[in-house]
Amino acid sequence: MKRPGIRLRFRAWLRRQLYSFFSSLGTLLSHRVGTLMTVVVLGIAMALPLGLYVALTNLNAVDLKQDSWGTITVFLQSGTSAADARELTARIDARQDANATAISPEAGMEDFRDASGFGPALDMLSPNPLPWVIEVRPQPDRTDRLTLVVEDLTGWLQSQEAIDSVVVDTKWLQRLAGLLAVGNALVTVLAALFSVAVLVVVANTIRLDVANRADEIEVLSLVGAGNGFIRLPFLYSGFWYGLLGALGALLLLRVCLAFIDGPLSGLLDAYGNRFELSGVGFVPSLAVLATGGLLGLGGAWIAVARYLRALRRDGLLGRI
Amino acid sequence: MIRFEHVSKRYPGGINALTDINFELVQGEMAFLTGHSGAGKSTLLRLILMLEQATRGQVLVEGRNLSRLSMRTAPRIRQRIGMIFQDHKLLRDKTVFDNVALPLMIAGLRYADIRKRVRAALDKVGLLQRERAWPLALSGGEQQRVGIARAIVGMPPVLLADEPTGNLDPELSASLFQLFRELNSLGVTVLIASHDLALIRRMGQRVLVLSGGSLIDDIPALEGGGAA
Repeated sequence: MKRPGIRLRFRAWLRRQLYSFFSSLGTLLSHRVGTLMTVVVLGIAMALPLGLYVALTNLNAVDLKQDSWGTITVFLQSGTSAADARELTARIDARQDANATAISPEAGMEDFRDASGFGPALDMLSPNPLPWVIEVRPQPDRTDRLTLVVEDLTGWLQSQEAIDSVVVDTKWLQRLAGLLAVGNALVTVLAALFSVAVLVVVANTIRLDVANRADEIEVLSLVGAGNGFIRLPFLYSGFWYGLLGALGALLLLRVCLAFIDGPLSGLLDAYGNRFELSGVGFVPSLAVLATGGLLGLGGAWIAVARYLRALRRDGLLGRI
Repeated sequence: MIRFEHVSKRYPGGINALTDINFELVQGEMAFLTGHSGAGKSTLLRLILMLEQATRGQVLVEGRNLSRLSMRTAPRIRQRIGMIFQDHKLLRDKTVFDNVALPLMIAGLRYADIRKRVRAALDKVGLLQRERAWPLALSGGEQQRVGIARAIVGMPPVLLADEPTGNLDPELSASLFQLFRELNSLGVTVLIASHDLALIRRMGQRVLVLSGGSLIDDIPALEGGGAA
């Protein structure tokens, strides 16, 4: 009973992996309905946090594109000359964290006339009452720094000469940032909860699987299979469940996004926005698949280890 | 090859399954183990397979003292023993071929070698043409032969059988025992637990008789091995 060399043993190990790999695939395929149901449950469980994640990434993207949301409106004192207004605009524009556009009282009046429909009435205001206005768009290097940049800019602007007032809806911005933060936290919490759900679902499925195949385990044990060999097909099964569940989640999300895309575009169109709904990117998709597979493997490991121990303890392994 | 030295086995609850068993099977020997049900035949086989541990005494297989080995080595001991079960212990959701291939897959052999050896084993028991069949589609005798093919496919030096002819008609039983004899003539050590006394007598092999957990008789083989 000499043990063979390490290389031979490694090859034998590799072949055992291969046989178990195909054997687990065969088992899953021969129980198609059961497998499908488990995969659907896993898919939905994984799709929920994933869906929220996609929603948040899209919201972030909206925030970035909709830079007018963070626009600071600077009203200059009436009587400020065009040259002064343009000089100030240039100075603001020179800052790295902001773009600035000057709007003359005439241009402002035109806009207002178009937007308000008060055309004839406005004509009666013979001296144009509007001041010079500078629209300042903050350019944060990161979206989540928007509020900081806005605060910084506001402070700086208020210290400039010839400025009457600086108007910015920071409250609104703070609320948005807060909402995004809460959303992110929610994704983390949901992902953790549903990871546990995936683990439990897979563990339970594998537990039933092991119980159903107690006879097979017994036979394997009797003809000389070690724990490792007995465990392998179940571990692979768990891995497949997790991987297929993750794949299902990604597909489900894609379908949902396709379903939402049309109405959402319509809605945003009404607000005068063009917006491309983005799904889960390639690398995040791979991460989701890998996470799914690992969770499945983990669940299977827990179930098999527990159950094999129980089988051995109760002397059910290797009855003859 | 197999040696029992003062082996006793006491199950929890105080039942003495075996008491002070002593015998030795040398390499290439063939013997029957007989006795009424409950005499301890299965317990004796279980001890050899490391499914149980002796309460007292020592069981040696190929010179290794099983009571000194950890349970982790049990798989490696079992890989050296071909075991044939009364209820065949076949996997119903695997084909005949896959069932027979199990020990070789466990050993991690190359698939090409597995194919060759499984087919040779199936040929030996006359079931080569049924390799793609499912166990449940086979008759009892055929299932038993699949079990035998699985036991011999790894060419183990020891072959154990627990009531291999349990539910078979006399003719099939005789041909099975004949097969065991052929394997034995190839150098395999064979130990068969059976209560089919008429058949055992006709085989003319060594017979170990168990009664109430004790070895009460050890009848040596007839000269020339007896008539088939």
